[in-house]
Amino acid sequence: MKILRNISFGQYIPRESLIHNLDPRIKILSCLAIIISLFLLTEFWGYLILGTFVMIGIIISQIHPKFVFKGLRSILFIIMFTLIIHLFMTEGEVLYQLSFLKITKEGLIKGLFISCRLFILILATSLLTLTTSPISLTDGIEKLLSFFKFIGMPAHEIAMMMTIALRFIPTLLEETEKIMKAQISRGADFDTGNIFNRTKNLIPILIPLFVNAFRRADELAIAMEAKCYRGGEGRTHFRQLKIRVIDILTLILTSIITIIASVLF
Amino acid sequence: MFIRLENVYYTYNLHMPFETKALKNINLDIKKGEFIGLIGHTGCGKTTLIQHFNGLLTPTSGKVYVEEMDISKKGIDLKLIRQKVGLVFQYPENQIFEETIFQEIAFGPKKLGLPKDEIEKRVREALKMVDLDYNLYAERSPFTLSGGEMRRVALASILSIRPKMLILDEPTANLDPQGRNKILSEIKAIHDNFGITVVLVSHNMEKVAEMVDRLLVMNKGEIIMDGPPREIFAKRANDLLKVGLGLPQVTQCMYELKIRGKDLYTGVLNVNEAEKEILNNIKKLNSQLKKYERL
Repeated sequence: MKILRNISFGQYIPRESLIHNLDPRIKILSCLAIIISLFLLTEFWGYLILGTFVMIGIIISQIHPKFVFKGLRSILFIIMFTLIIHLFMTEGEVLYQLSFLKITKEGLIKGLFISCRLFILILATSLLTLTTSPISLTDGIEKLLSFFKFIGMPAHEIAMMMTIALRFIPTLLEETEKIMKAQISRGADFDTGNIFNRTKNLIPILIPLFVNAFRRADELAIAMEAKCYRGGEGRTHFRQLKIRVIDILTLILTSIITIIASVLF
Repeated sequence: MFIRLENVYYTYNLHMPFETKALKNINLDIKKGEFIGLIGHTGCGKTTLIQHFNGLLTPTSGKVYVEEMDISKKGIDLKLIRQKVGLVFQYPENQIFEETIFQEIAFGPKKLGLPKDEIEKRVREALKMVDLDYNLYAERSPFTLSGGEMRRVALASILSIRPKMLILDEPTANLDPQGRNKILSEIKAIHDNFGITVVLVSHNMEKVAEMVDRLLVMNKGEIIMDGPPREIFAKRANDLLKVGLGLPQVTQCMYELKIRGKDLYTGVLNVNEAEKEILNNIKKLNSQLKKYERL
C-alpha cells in the first residue's frame, strides 16, 4: 500500500512560479526540444549544459528538488539495469575481468552516457508534469495536435481520452487501496508466497477493480451524453491559451541552448 | 478491555507537501459486548480511526491495544488481529469478486485454512445471520443481486470469519429505507444474539442513536463527546448543533420546545418517549394550574 502513495512521478504540484505560469504548449515544445537534443548530442559537455538548464528550471519552479528526485527513485532500477548491460556487453579495452565477465572502458563510457541521457530525460519530463496541471497539459496537447488535423488526426478525441485517463488514475489508485484493505480485512495476504501464489492473490483485487471501472465508464458515458457532448466540433474553451512575451523568450532560450548542446557537442 | 487507544495521532503523507493531520490525541476504551455508534462529519477521521482497530493503519504516535496486545509493535501477527476484529468497509459490495455467493462468503474461512465441512457450516451460519436462504442463494452469482442483498452478502463474508468485534463503516449508505432498516435490525440481532462487540460508523444520528449504548462524537480528528446517547442529547444537544451534526428529528423537536421555554427532558430517542415526556409535562402543568386555582 505504501507504493501507491509514493508515486510523485507524473504528479502536479500547484505553485505560483514563472514555470507554472508558462503556456503549456511552450512547455511541451521545450521539453520535446530537450529530449531531441539529448538523443543528438555526442559529448558529455552537452549533458552538462542541458542538465544545468533543467536544474535551473526546477529551482525557478519553487518545487523542492527533494520531491523531484523522489520521483526518480522508481526509474533508478531501469537506469542501473542499462548501466550494467552496457558495462558488460560492450567490446573494447578490458579494464577488469572476472572469469567470463569483463568490464570495458568503452562499456563504462557508453553506460554512463546512456544513464545521463535517461536521467535528464526523466528530470525534464518530471518538471513538465510537476508544473503543469493535467487539464492545461491536455489543452496544450490538443492545440499542438490540431496542426495535424488536416491529415485526419482526431486531436480533440485524443486529448479527451488523455484527460479522462489522467483524471481516473488517482481515483483508481485510491480504489485499489480501498479494495486491498477490504480484502486484507477478510484474511487476504499480498505479501507472502511465491510469484505464482502472489499473482493468484491479486484476483480479489483485480476483479472488483475491473467491475467498478466498467461501471464507472458506463456512467461517465451516459453523463457526457446527457450534457450533450458530441466531440470537439464547435466547442469553446473556458481557459483560453495565450502566448505572452515570456513564453516566446522561453522558447527562444530553449532553442538556443538545445541547438548549442546538440550541434556544438 | 477489548480495544484501548492511548494518545493516538495519525498524519497522512507525513513530511510531504500534502500533509494532513487526521487524528489528534485519541484516547479510547472499548469493552467487550458494547454497541457503539461513531458519529462525525465526512472527513473528520472516522474511517481513519477504525482502520487502527485492526492494524490496517499504525499510529504516527501513540499505542493501540487489542485484548491487551500492543498491535503497533513490529512482529505482531496482524492476521490474527483481523480475525478478531472484522472490518466492513463503506460500500462493501465493491469488494465482491467470486462466481457464487457460497465462494464469496467462504473466502475468509478458506484463508484461515479450515476443513471443507467447517467452511460450509460457517457459510450456512453467516447467511442465516444476514437472513438469506442458503438453498436459494448459495449457488447464485453475487453480481445478480440487488444493492441491499449484495451488501448483506458482503457483511456475511466478514461474519464467516467469526470475529469477536464487528466494525461497520456507513452500512446504510445509498440504501433505500427498507434495505436500511433490514440491515440495521440484522446488525442489532448479531450484537444481541452472539454477544459481538459492534462499532457502527455513521454521519447520521437518525436510527443509530436509538440502537447503541454508547455514542462517540468526532470532530476534526478529535473525539469531542463520549457517553450514552440519552445523556449526550440531554446535556450537550447545543454543542452537537454547534459542530453541525444535528439531532434525530424527535430529539430536535424536543430541543426546539425546550428553547421556547417548555421544561422538557431532551434525552429522548424515539417518538414514544417524546410523547410520554410531553404528556407528563402537560399533566404537570395541569396540576400546577389546579393548585393555583384552589388558591
